[in-house]
Order: sequence, then structure tokens, then C-alpha cells
Amino acid sequence: MSENNKDVAAMSYEQARDELIKVVAELETGSVTLEASMKLWERGEALADKCEQWLSGARAQLEKAAKSKKSSAE
Amino acid sequence: VDVIILARGGGSFQDLLVFSDEKVVRAVANCNTPVVSAIGHENDRPLTDEVADLRASTPTDAAKRVVPDVIEERKKISQALERIGLRVVGFVQNQIELISGIRSRPILANPFTLVDERSLQISQLRQSLFTQAKNTLEKQTLQVSGLRGQVRALSPKLTLDRGYAVVRDLEGHVLTEPKQAKAGQKIKITLAGGDLGATAD
Repeated sequence: MSENNKDVAAMSYEQARDELIKVVAELETGSVTLEASMKLWERGEALADKCEQWLSGARAQLEKAAKSKKSSAE
Repeated sequence: VDVIILARGGGSFQDLLVFSDEKVVRAVANCNTPVVSAIGHENDRPLTDEVADLRASTPTDAAKRVVPDVIEERKKISQALERIGLRVVGFVQNQIELISGIRSRPILANPFTLVDERSLQISQLRQSLFTQAKNTLEKQTLQVSGLRGQVRALSPKLTLDRGYAVVRDLEGHVLTEPKQAKAGQKIKITLAGGDLGATAD
């Protein structure tokens, strides 16, 4: 992750996702320079990574809950 | 003394005069013990008849009135006892039915329903909680991967995939002219697969 995207690590899921949506919208305008679009792309990837990190954590928790529910039902 | 019966065994009107004597009449009237006058004779009734508590026609009649009939009394007592018995049995029977009615109510007959119903409700809620959480997770996962796809599609990534490269200085400024880099300056080449560090000649 580049220096510019270090703040992403501390973001909540919603913060990262909402900014990811903004990044996409900004890229969609098509009026950004190559340099800016490179930065946006890198930031977008970092934000998407953060979102997926949150989601896979949530998935693991759900699976753990499902497992313990099954074993307590037996 | 429970009762006083005034009686006599026959006699003329003269013989009865003593029962009309003022002293006797006053004594009878003031007497605290019940007095039955049984002198008889409707026509020439002595004055005690008027002040006595009860007037009987003959001594036999007086005795009958004063002493209750044993057979009749016994019958009354046994009837009363029977009624008391019936009442008590009826009362107890009513209470037995009342209690057994209460005990046969579903909530008391099977108190586990108190817990079972709630337990079922909780497990249903837990199930739908789990389903909801999973649905939300799936939706968010799809959204994020969609957004990542959009970022890539709109970024120079596709161009890089075709073999192009972007050269930047270490501050991230894109180099478009060779003179933008001095000899020996560190530069960063971004390829489709990642960054490559290099030094300008």
C-alpha cells in the first residue's frame, strides 16, 4: 500500500465502501489526468482490500456462530 | 327449676278461688321461672291463667307442651345431622372439582409449555438473525467486488494489461518527458503486475 493510502487501514467498512463508491464516480467522469487516475486506481484497490478484509472477518464470525449453534443443538 | 306447672286434681269453683287470690296471682306474674297454668275450666278460669306464661287446658296438656316429643326431636336431630353431612360432602366435592379443574389447565398440566414456546420463538429468531446477517454479507460482498471491477475498468489498469507502463517519480508525478528525470534519479515503473523500482541513466 502506498504512503497515500495508509489511512485506509483505520477505516470502518462503511467509510471504506462509501469512499470506494466516490472513487468509482470520480473515475467515471473521465476528466481526470493519468496521474490522478493512477492514484485513484491505487486508492480504489486499497479501499476494496479493506472492505474485503472486513467482509471475510464477518464471514468467519458467522461460520463460527453457525458451527457452535449446530454443536449446541446436538 | 326450669318450669313451674300449676295444676290440681278436680274440685269445685270454691276450691279454685285460691288460684285467683291476689298474692298468688302477683307471685305468678313476678316469677322469673316460666309458669304454666293448667287449672282447666273454660268458664270459670282462675286469674293465674291471665298472668301465667302459658295456659294449658289439662295437666297432661301442660306436660306435653313443656316437654318436647323425644321421637320428633330425635328425627329433627338426625335430619339436621344428615343435612350437615350432605353440606360438608358437597363442599368438599366442589373444592375437589375446582382444584382438579385448575390443575388440568394446560399451563399446569404441562408447565414446560411456558419454556418450550419461548424457546421455539428464540430459535426461530436466531435462525432469521443468522439468515439476515448472511444475506447482508452476500450483498455487500457483491457490491464491493462490483466496485473493484469498476475501479479497474475505469483506471489505466486495462492499458497496463496490454503491456504499457506508467513511469512516475517517487512523489507519484507521472513522467512524460525524458528531461523530467535527472541521471541517477530513482523512478517507479508501474506495470500490469505491480511496481518496479528503477534508476534513470
